[in-house]
Amino acid sequence: MACTSGGKSDVATVPEQFPVGLRVLVVDDDVICLRVLEQMLRKCMYKVTSCSQATVALNLLRERKGCFDIVLSDVHMPDMDGFKLLELVGLEMDLPVIMMSADGRTNLVMRGIRHGACDYLIKPIRDEELKNIWQHVVRKKWNEIKEHDYSGSMEDHDRQKRTIDDAEYASSVNEGADEVLKTQKKRRDSKDEDETELENDDPATTKKPRVVWSVELHQQFVSAVNQLGIDKAVPKRILELMNVPGLTRENVASHLQKFRLYLKRLSGVAQQQGGLPSSYCGPVEQNIKLASLGRFDIQALAASGQLPPQTLAALHAELLSRPPGNLVLPALDQRTLLHASLQGSKCIPVDQNVAYGQPLIKCSSNIAKQTSQPVMSNEDVLSEFAAWSSKNLGDMVPACNFGTEVETNSNMLISFIQQQQQKQSVIPEPGRSINVQPSCLVVPSQSSPNFQTGNSPVSVNQNCGFRNLAMDYNNPLLQSNNSSGAGQNMEVECKPVRMHSEFGTAASVSSASSCSKNIQDSACQRVPSSPSTISVVMQIPTMNRVPSSHSGKPDLVEVSTRNPIYVGKGPSIPSRFAVDEHELPMSNMGQVKLYAENNGNKVKQEPNDLTENATLKYKTSWLHHGLVAVTENAACNWFLVSIVTDPALIRQNTNQEVESVRHAYLYDFGSGSSVAVRLVRHLKGVGRVKGGAHIFPVANCKGWIEKKWVNRTRSLGDFWQKVALLV
Amino acid sequence: MEVDQLQRTFHHYHASLFNEGFLDEQFVQLQQLQDESNPGFVVEVVSLFFEDSERLLNDLSKALDQENVDFRKIDAHVHQLKGSSSSIGAQRVRDACIAFRNFCDERNIEACLKCLQQVRQEYLLVKTKLEALLRLEQQIVAAGGASPM
Repeated sequence: MACTSGGKSDVATVPEQFPVGLRVLVVDDDVICLRVLEQMLRKCMYKVTSCSQATVALNLLRERKGCFDIVLSDVHMPDMDGFKLLELVGLEMDLPVIMMSADGRTNLVMRGIRHGACDYLIKPIRDEELKNIWQHVVRKKWNEIKEHDYSGSMEDHDRQKRTIDDAEYASSVNEGADEVLKTQKKRRDSKDEDETELENDDPATTKKPRVVWSVELHQQFVSAVNQLGIDKAVPKRILELMNVPGLTRENVASHLQKFRLYLKRLSGVAQQQGGLPSSYCGPVEQNIKLASLGRFDIQALAASGQLPPQTLAALHAELLSRPPGNLVLPALDQRTLLHASLQGSKCIPVDQNVAYGQPLIKCSSNIAKQTSQPVMSNEDVLSEFAAWSSKNLGDMVPACNFGTEVETNSNMLISFIQQQQQKQSVIPEPGRSINVQPSCLVVPSQSSPNFQTGNSPVSVNQNCGFRNLAMDYNNPLLQSNNSSGAGQNMEVECKPVRMHSEFGTAASVSSASSCSKNIQDSACQRVPSSPSTISVVMQIPTMNRVPSSHSGKPDLVEVSTRNPIYVGKGPSIPSRFAVDEHELPMSNMGQVKLYAENNGNKVKQEPNDLTENATLKYKTSWLHHGLVAVTENAACNWFLVSIVTDPALIRQNTNQEVESVRHAYLYDFGSGSSVAVRLVRHLKGVGRVKGGAHIFPVANCKGWIEKKWVNRTRSLGDFWQKVALLV
Repeated sequence: MEVDQLQRTFHHYHASLFNEGFLDEQFVQLQQLQDESNPGFVVEVVSLFFEDSERLLNDLSKALDQENVDFRKIDAHVHQLKGSSSSIGAQRVRDACIAFRNFCDERNIEACLKCLQQVRQEYLLVKTKLEALLRLEQQIVAAGGASPM
């Protein structure tokens, strides 16, 4: 079951005797030099490809991803600056790059290092220097593994380690490899320890102060990336765009690396799911309604293999934010343009240049049962969706392998499309359909500190949890900017819209309960008080645990000791991408503005209104069949589940639901290594679960899923199967 | 006999080139890169060097002949020439290029012209020497001996 994520492709196939067969790409406009290097590298038993033009080299790298292990590039080239190539390669392909130049001036070497070069060789290059370039490949892999450790990607880690180990052992044949072997072994051992500690969710082991990539931060990051274009997204520029004090280029660079791995993983996972239609025919829309952008959507798309990383990145960004009209993905063909159609009504057309939407890929088992609220209030969405060929939808195989349900979904989708095509404004299914949003990345080690102890989940009857989330996310932004600025930063995913559809219209928001009011108030309070500056430990300003302020009745979940509400503060954000967090409900500017006013704003009655009560940060993305994970710890396996951080939202949403709506919730109880995720079915928000660190029977609780399992499982299909058994 | 003689001449000549500073370690590297799978490697690279250098020298004289001398372009050319000459081990040419670049930085046209002349001279010298060396090699091989490269 363990599926290999996209990261697998990163792992170089280790030949018999590493580094024999190392695949090197040499780029140099000087033909003599090129020829000489080529010959030298051949003598080292490497597989050499030489290129005299940087642009050609870049294309080659792009076309043949995973075909090269390392790049050697000259600094001075006529068609492209060597440093630029260096950065691009680092960003897009994440390969180690060695710079070369006859010019050995210190400032130039420094530049090379700053741009990310693994090494800088001064011409003329001797073959001894080339013999050891494999070390950069190994080093990079090790570092990657180390990073992954924190995200608990055991399998990846194991696999990569195994690969590296192979290399180690292989290289022990070579001179001096024994030493390397020993040190690597030591490193591995210590890594093991770290891993166990991480696994145990023991934050104490984390020594270095890590930048916490809060939702806002990540949103900023993604919008920056999109602004620049994934090709050109250089850490330096991203950093500048983000303009976050205390954030270093290195932070951005490593985050970027993870982001790319995440995207790769999306494709990898998606592929595992199999079945995704190979062609998504999406209209190129200027206005993308990112309403239904769910991680899962992206996954599904990615799975189809249609999405180049750039697309994924852009999509991801879309999820997070809506950079005003910036997401122009290069060379997107129709197929890769996804239609962000099914967003429910709440989805307000986002004004972006990104012309892609998300396909409705959903296989939601409950879809059939869920009543659909007239979600689509947006004509735009409708039209966009209508643009989808029903064929496409029909082809879409839900990412989750639910047999018949899938079919149902497909049918529903098809019918939906047809409806759309008729310009009907009601889209029942979409809401339900594919909102699979992978949950947050698991940050095992980080979960505990993030738990709000003593907070009882506030059951805020808010219409859109996500909205709240969105608001929450944007809170810091709000604070730091004005509402207009916040508006821009508001990355309210339309995904929430989906939720809306599932949960009914947002209109219910108006019926804010006292709880919600409380939340609102507290949220308001929080907002001002939350520090909007981002420091090394990124705090989500509004993390203020709403729950804490609401000692009031937690309807949904009462976690005695912990607050299941995720307060995304602290170092909890795993190094993985908490994609969840990004899945803020996307709302258009209008909505965003609503949020912006969140501080103390009343809940508007509009359907699209994300309750201002959204002081809480929610990461909500509904799984295609309505599985929502409610966890304080944002770190869930992001590609499995989406997180709702405020159980109250669930409650509210549930209330909004039509009777037969059923959702399954994964409630995160407790923290620490024994965090268990419970599967709770809520019917009309009735369920009341008391949580704790230990498994115990809870009303309406359908079962337990160990969080570790969630963390570890790499296959969405597996996860769903397990869920299906319980639900 | 003849082969031995030729071989000795070759080695002698070869050594002298190094002693006189025409060639440096890098050339030895080139020789080492030549093997059975790549028998004509040195010849190939040296020919490439000749072609490239001549082109660059022409470009350089053209560039210096301009009304408005584009020193950045000149610097680029010289840099390249420096790179290729160092790649094959044409030490003197490389050194001359280094000097050239310094004057280029100073934007001294006169000095640049002089440097260009110098570079060209060195280039022609090393070209002659290399051609002679390669010819010797050819003769050895033709006479049945193993390539001394």
